[in-house]
Amino acid sequence: MRKFLLSKALGMLAVLAIVAVIVFVLTRAASGDPISVLLGDQATAEDIARVQKVYGLDKPLPVQFAYWLREVLHGNLGDSIFLQRPVTQALRERAEPTTLLALMAVAIAAAIGIPCGIVSAVFRGRWIDQLFTGVAMLGASIPSFWLGLVLIQIFAVSFGWFPVSGYGAPDAALAERVHALVLPAAVLGLLNSALIIRFTRASMLDVLGEDYVRTARSKGLAESTVVLKHALRNALVPIVTVVGLTVALMIGGAVVTETVFGLPGVGNLVVSAVLRRDYPVIQGALLVVAAIYVLINFSIDLLYAVVDPRVKVG
Amino acid sequence: MPMIDLSSRRTLLRHALIGASAVAALLAGATASSQPRNHATLAMVAEPQTLDPMASTADLVGTIMQHVYETLYTFDAKWNVVPMLAESLPKVSADGKTYSITLRKGVMLHSGRELTPDDVVASLQRWMEQSPRGKAVAKELDSIKPKGALGVEIVLKAPYAPLVSQLALPSGMAAIMAKESIATPLASYVGTGPYKFKERKPDQFVLLTRFDKYSARKEPASGYGGKREAAIEELRFVPVPNANTRVEGALAGQYDFADLLPVEALSRLEKSGGKSVPILTPSFGFPYLVLNTKEGVVANQALRQAIQIAIGEGEMLAAGFGDTRFFVAEGNHFPKGSPYYSTAGTDQYNQRNANKAKAAAEKAGYKGEAVRILTSRQYDFHYNMALLMAEQMKRAGFKVEMNVVDWATLVQRRNDSKLWDIYVTHSGIFPEPMLSPPQLGDGAPGWWSTPAKQAALAAFNQEPDPAKRGALWGKVQQVVYDEVPYINVGKFNGLSAKSPALENYQAATWPFFWNARIK
Repeated sequence: MRKFLLSKALGMLAVLAIVAVIVFVLTRAASGDPISVLLGDQATAEDIARVQKVYGLDKPLPVQFAYWLREVLHGNLGDSIFLQRPVTQALRERAEPTTLLALMAVAIAAAIGIPCGIVSAVFRGRWIDQLFTGVAMLGASIPSFWLGLVLIQIFAVSFGWFPVSGYGAPDAALAERVHALVLPAAVLGLLNSALIIRFTRASMLDVLGEDYVRTARSKGLAESTVVLKHALRNALVPIVTVVGLTVALMIGGAVVTETVFGLPGVGNLVVSAVLRRDYPVIQGALLVVAAIYVLINFSIDLLYAVVDPRVKVG
Repeated sequence: MPMIDLSSRRTLLRHALIGASAVAALLAGATASSQPRNHATLAMVAEPQTLDPMASTADLVGTIMQHVYETLYTFDAKWNVVPMLAESLPKVSADGKTYSITLRKGVMLHSGRELTPDDVVASLQRWMEQSPRGKAVAKELDSIKPKGALGVEIVLKAPYAPLVSQLALPSGMAAIMAKESIATPLASYVGTGPYKFKERKPDQFVLLTRFDKYSARKEPASGYGGKREAAIEELRFVPVPNANTRVEGALAGQYDFADLLPVEALSRLEKSGGKSVPILTPSFGFPYLVLNTKEGVVANQALRQAIQIAIGEGEMLAAGFGDTRFFVAEGNHFPKGSPYYSTAGTDQYNQRNANKAKAAAEKAGYKGEAVRILTSRQYDFHYNMALLMAEQMKRAGFKVEMNVVDWATLVQRRNDSKLWDIYVTHSGIFPEPMLSPPQLGDGAPGWWSTPAKQAALAAFNQEPDPAKRGALWGKVQQVVYDEVPYINVGKFNGLSAKSPALENYQAATWPFFWNARIK
């Protein structure tokens, strides 16, 4: 077990180091300059050069990289050029909406995806299977901004049940903030349930053909016991993987959904940072997201062992 | 099928109904805020780049911070310069070089102290060091110093008529700050405005709250000038970058004000049954094309003239803005009614003459080199206009290469004369010609600098009499049409929307919310 953890940890560090280099190189390789954006249309080249100096952007790239790396190793992701605060603080502020949104969306996706997947597998080839598979197909193909705008028009504009955008009033209590997340979570949940339906169905079909399922049936067990206890338990590994990856994806920022709904989450932060080349924010956010991704993958590996004793750790 | 007791089914139904109505009540409770509120939610196009009103000329920064900071002068509803923190318009010496400014007495800063000439001098010095607009003024400045209890004296090297307008503009603002708050970057925002800064959460809101000791002017309100009153206790500026979301939010009544909406939204707003009121701001801005006079194929003036003959600005505006209610195709750079209205050179506007252009290009020695058009899709109308212009130019025998990049890239690349021949941008229409476009100044991308330009602008900038300046602007406009350093494509109107609850809102280029109320 210790060896397993150690090798995983080393792997994780290597991944993060590669991410750090790639992120730095990519953000700087993209043309564009944060200071021209910051100063506006009337700034002269001289103004721009002066402010670039303030942010150390006039130094050669390797020097900037070395400086950034040193700070990162000390746990300092630098200061945002536009937000007047450290990147770590900006990320902390964005963590709540993004995490809540991811959890709500995954809960919705799993609540729809797993039962529908099971039903699809059990009634394979029947109309209900075709219906669910069709819906899953549709869900995988609908763009999220479109579904977002449609839901906004129905539930926010026509019925007035939910706010169109934002994360509640400035003094909003948790309930109000969660309320503001319902529509975006529904969009993400509906779209991501498609993948879970398909994986659950496929995984269940594999298992339902196994000998021990036939044995269970021939023992005279109730069909529900056979499906839910004997089959589902064994089909869980790929399902857990998909659910875990969905969480990771959403923590990385449900970029489009957050933009459409004006949510102050990580995705929105990264998008606006990219548009105005806020280098410290892009680099810091991507590094943190990569770290979370790696950690979630690691947790999934551990979970395998829990849901499936055949998987050995170490 | 197992038997289910009917009574238990009924209980189930009853529970379901109770549950459903509880959910409905919860939803209603969270959205309906029927109690009297004293805040306004104002949907802006983005998160402000900064809250330092001097650091950026972005309109968004000026729009928000003009509530916190004030200027010595400002503009009334007819674009006349009127005093704000100054008692009256400055006394200008006979040689046009010395401006004596007297401050209003008893103006309170947000820190609870009275405004002094020292604050004004320190603020204007910072503005001239840091603000791109202030730097243009700094070049003309000889000295600035406090004089007596309420006086400030500005001495110029040579007469410079745009000075007072420069001091009045809300974008790249010559904001007057408490001297002790001045720092770079600003750590606190201490001004004299009707609102003071309360809190900023990036991508969520900027909160401003009423300043109770605000010292208002006595004159009736007109434009940005006259009496200002913070009738709404708290202003909440929220960034809503997605234009469609701003429209939906306005229709749902979530915002009291939604800034800069796509023109396609007008008919939906009109049909909203009073839930949202569309606001058109006429002559809001102008798109313009900057031509590279320094390097590359269009550095040749005769070729720039050929391009001017080739393009049809009317068609371009139609491509950019669609509905004729949103644009005006006219060659005068300033609208009728403005002191700078002039038709000089406008026979060169909207020609769209492919044959004539082809002949002119040939005469200019054009050999089929590619003309590189730099544009972005940040603003749809930039891109749509550029596409159409490219076709018009191809019709006249030009070879055109479109470089479509994102906005951050465009603003960087345009500083390098090797990378482009024409770029597309736009600006607000300002009350003083020298404020925009920057190509009228020195060193802006395009690098226009000719004897004719210098002569026309020197005459215009040194004439203090507003009436004579009007006629002198005509001469500048003529030079622009002759030398084609930039092409003013026409004028467009702005579309925004307000809720019926927001009363007494006056449409403005930089929307302001003092004097507005919430019903």
